[in-house]
Amino acid sequence: MNNEIRTHHPDGQGELMAHAVDACVHCGFCLPACPTYALLGEEMDSPRGRIVLMKEVLEGALPLFEATPYLDRCLGCVGCVTACPSGVPYGELITSFRGWSEPQRQRPLLQKVTRAAVLTLLPRPGLFRAGASVGRFAKPLSPLLPQALRAPLDLLPRTLEPAQPLPALTPAEGVRRGRVALLSGCAQQVLTPNFNSATVRVLSRNGRDVVVPPTQGCCGAAAMHTGARPLALQQARRNLNVFEETQVDAVVSNAAGCGAGLKEYPMLLAGEGEADENRARALAAQVQDISEYLGKLLEQGELEPFLPTSRPLKVAYHDACHLAHAQGIRSAPRALLRAIPGVTVLEVPQGDLCCGSAGTYNLEQPDLAGQLGDLKARNVMATGAEYVVSGNVGCHTQLQSHLTRLGSPIRVLHTVELLDMAYRGQL
Amino acid sequence: MSTRAGSKAPSAPPVFSLAAELTRLLGPRKVLSNLSERLNYRYDAIAFGETPLCVVLPDSTADVVIAVKAARAAGMPIVGRGAASGLSGGAAPTEPGLVISFTRMTQLSIDPVLREAIAQAGVITLSVTEAAKPFGLIYPPDPASFRTSTIGGNLAENAGGPLCFKYGVTGDYVQGLEFVDADGEVHSLTRDAYDLAGLLIGSEGTLGLITQATLRLTTPPQFTRTLMAHFAEVGQCAEAVSAAIAAGAVPSKLEFMDRACTNAIEDYLHLGLPREAEALLLVDTDGNDLETVEEERALVEAACRNAGGTVRRAESDAEAAQLWQARRSVSPALGRIRPQRMNEDIVVPRSVLPEVVREIRALGDASGLHLVQFGHIGDGNLHPNILFDPRTESLEAVHELAHEVARVAIRHGGVLSGEHGIGSMKLAFMREAVDAGTLAALWRVKHALDPHGALNPGKVLPAEEA
Ligand SMILES: Cc1cc2nc3c(=O)[nH]c(=O)nc-3n(C[C@H](O)[C@H](O)[C@H](O)COP(=O)(O)OP(=O)(O)OC[C@H]3O[C@@H](n4cnc5c(N)ncnc54)[C@H](O)[C@@H]3O)c2cc1C
Ligand code: SF4
Ligand code: SF4
Repeated sequence: MNNEIRTHHPDGQGELMAHAVDACVHCGFCLPACPTYALLGEEMDSPRGRIVLMKEVLEGALPLFEATPYLDRCLGCVGCVTACPSGVPYGELITSFRGWSEPQRQRPLLQKVTRAAVLTLLPRPGLFRAGASVGRFAKPLSPLLPQALRAPLDLLPRTLEPAQPLPALTPAEGVRRGRVALLSGCAQQVLTPNFNSATVRVLSRNGRDVVVPPTQGCCGAAAMHTGARPLALQQARRNLNVFEETQVDAVVSNAAGCGAGLKEYPMLLAGEGEADENRARALAAQVQDISEYLGKLLEQGELEPFLPTSRPLKVAYHDACHLAHAQGIRSAPRALLRAIPGVTVLEVPQGDLCCGSAGTYNLEQPDLAGQLGDLKARNVMATGAEYVVSGNVGCHTQLQSHLTRLGSPIRVLHTVELLDMAYRGQL
Repeated sequence: MSTRAGSKAPSAPPVFSLAAELTRLLGPRKVLSNLSERLNYRYDAIAFGETPLCVVLPDSTADVVIAVKAARAAGMPIVGRGAASGLSGGAAPTEPGLVISFTRMTQLSIDPVLREAIAQAGVITLSVTEAAKPFGLIYPPDPASFRTSTIGGNLAENAGGPLCFKYGVTGDYVQGLEFVDADGEVHSLTRDAYDLAGLLIGSEGTLGLITQATLRLTTPPQFTRTLMAHFAEVGQCAEAVSAAIAAGAVPSKLEFMDRACTNAIEDYLHLGLPREAEALLLVDTDGNDLETVEEERALVEAACRNAGGTVRRAESDAEAAQLWQARRSVSPALGRIRPQRMNEDIVVPRSVLPEVVREIRALGDASGLHLVQFGHIGDGNLHPNILFDPRTESLEAVHELAHEVARVAIRHGGVLSGEHGIGSMKLAFMREAVDAGTLAALWRVKHALDPHGALNPGKVLPAEEA
């Protein structure tokens, strides 16, 4: 698409955005992949429409405030990237655009407060735990609150699992075959502590020393995707320092959003000088999702075999957007699940469509998030599975809350939790 | 503020009064008037046009009637719009006016006994077949855009697709349609008496707004076999096609792409397609008798080998599905090569295909521009595309080359639009392709059905000579 973005924004971020707009041939192939287009049926709420809107704003032809309602409704699920034959890096475009536009925006007070609260609480598991505990007691008040406050309360589990602190080093079981670092994630340490414990057990069982650097911090994805670029940069630099020192074969993530976030450091640091750009690329090259890492072991015939299930088990696999679309990881988790003797893997209808969790979307667009969550839960129920697994804490809470609301007995687990159970003969 | 729209000129500027009037009549959910909204209804998949003054998203035929009458009263032109996947600028307005976007008119029902689908204009093409499948039926027209495009847009362009070689184009499946005329009157048509439905099909929104269609469904073939062949030269591929058909094969799909297309697709899907080959041919044979289907595939295979090609059979349904996904992605994947393109949609007699693809290839090579070719080669329907970067390449040279390519088609007894329509993109070639007497006759038809010239002005027919 013809554009004048470079003239108006002659910097690294401007170049990223101009390149993305250049590459879009406005063919509309992405329309059916977009959850908001599916719900609203309007061009402004489609990927192609949003690209045009961003172009117009960046060229100064459209005031920012006119475009923001539609850009804010974008989930950042990047389903459109998978669907786009022309290779438009839509994720980079919207992220850079949000980074550029956020400082110019005036937000209502309540929104400012919730955004600040999320970005402050998330990276601090201690505080987040405290907040979540208070929130649990506030749950009965939920119907009385404005929707922006109600949504996060509705998502909180009724009981919080006790914390499961992770040792800085868990040695390999048996012969040592490698050494990896684990990105421990933020919210999941509080909401779903077993994700990390299960990951460590599975890696150790496969002969890996697992390092969990205690000084690591939030990956910065939440800040990056909500346009808080300075905070995201600060968080990224901290992690670059920490992980550069760990001396590992791979940095493993079990949170699709965080893994994708680390893999996006080169985009975040574009324009920050060559040295930083190179460091970002080096770390990004080391990052692997847990299913990607284990999937390679499986492929090479090096994965420790799983114990068979005690009875035939139907497992639905839910593609987290930040695994399937952002990282292109689809076959590895399915192959791992199939490697458990006794497991049948089921596909979720409309599987490419986002579940509506998408980072802070539940807080900012509760209505659309709710519709998408409901649709996803119904599609999962239609599979007739006993378990549904996915690779992301956001999807996990979203599925959990909507399945519970619909009265479904389906258990929601992280992929690696199921693998862990298979190793321990618990299936 | 709004007064009842009528022939008396309202005092507010027309844009405000039309939007206000429509909002009053239809409610705010169906009317878009902010700049950010209107900007998004000015393009299709090839061209950007004028920003409309107002956009209506109707739910029903009744809404369309209201919108058309209000626009008429305000003296505004009306452009119908489906998914805007069109490749000839059809849905991109040439003057500011009203855009009626059908994307929310998505009611669809299947009558398995009559083997019919009744679809509102905004129904997505692919969903017709998906809805018909549980009844053991399919809807064959399959433009590469079928996940996106609408039935209304398909009828308006008389869209084709790979399956059309054997099964026919959209128009062959239309049993009847409902349309709203330029004055806002609703008409229901079948295919008898004067085939007015046939006239509406392919009229690109210039004669009426299609609100609903009754589509014929058929039973799917029991067996399908897929093969891919690649060639060291584009002409060989065309020779293989002619030879296969001459030998009696009636493949259901016969699709061709050249080397640049194959490489753009490889960059997107990583399927392991032969990047070095100058031409790739994808073929399906199908039917209810496996032996015949296999025989037909063998005929095509032999023709490809004789022409110097290398043949690979798809071993599984999954592999075949991947190859067809690759074919459908060709057009947008070309965006990887250059940001802009000029695309053509010529149809030539099959007997001259080898010469035509060779001549076009030679024109491209001589021009120094990026010219690529692909298309439904079984029907002689080719899409030569010129890919360019307007910042570094001359638009004049691009237009000149496009014109040369069109002339090749006309010289060999071909036509300019197989399936994408004339729209605004190919208007300039119309005078060369259609003689003056015929053009005058077409204009008389246009005047009869759209006496005020309000429906999608500036499309299909070049301006009348004074
Ligand atoms: C990647 C790609 C591949 C394609 N492949 C093919 C292919 O294989 N075969 C093929 O034939 N086409 C193909 N096309 C072109 C395009 O998809 C078709 O022309 C399609 O029929 C357009 O449908 P639409 O809903 O997008 O219509 P639009 O683009 O919105 O409109 C097309 C024309 O129809 C008019 N129109 C739309 N709706 C109505 C209505 N309800 N009543 C009256 N007029 C209306 C518009 O005014 C316009 O003139 C392709 C396009 C793309 C981008
Ligand atoms: S599929 Fe890609 S090129 Fe086509 S409109 Fe969407 S983003 Fe643009
Ligand atoms: S990221 Fe998701 S919500 Fe946003 S435009 Fe792309 S498909 Fe739509």
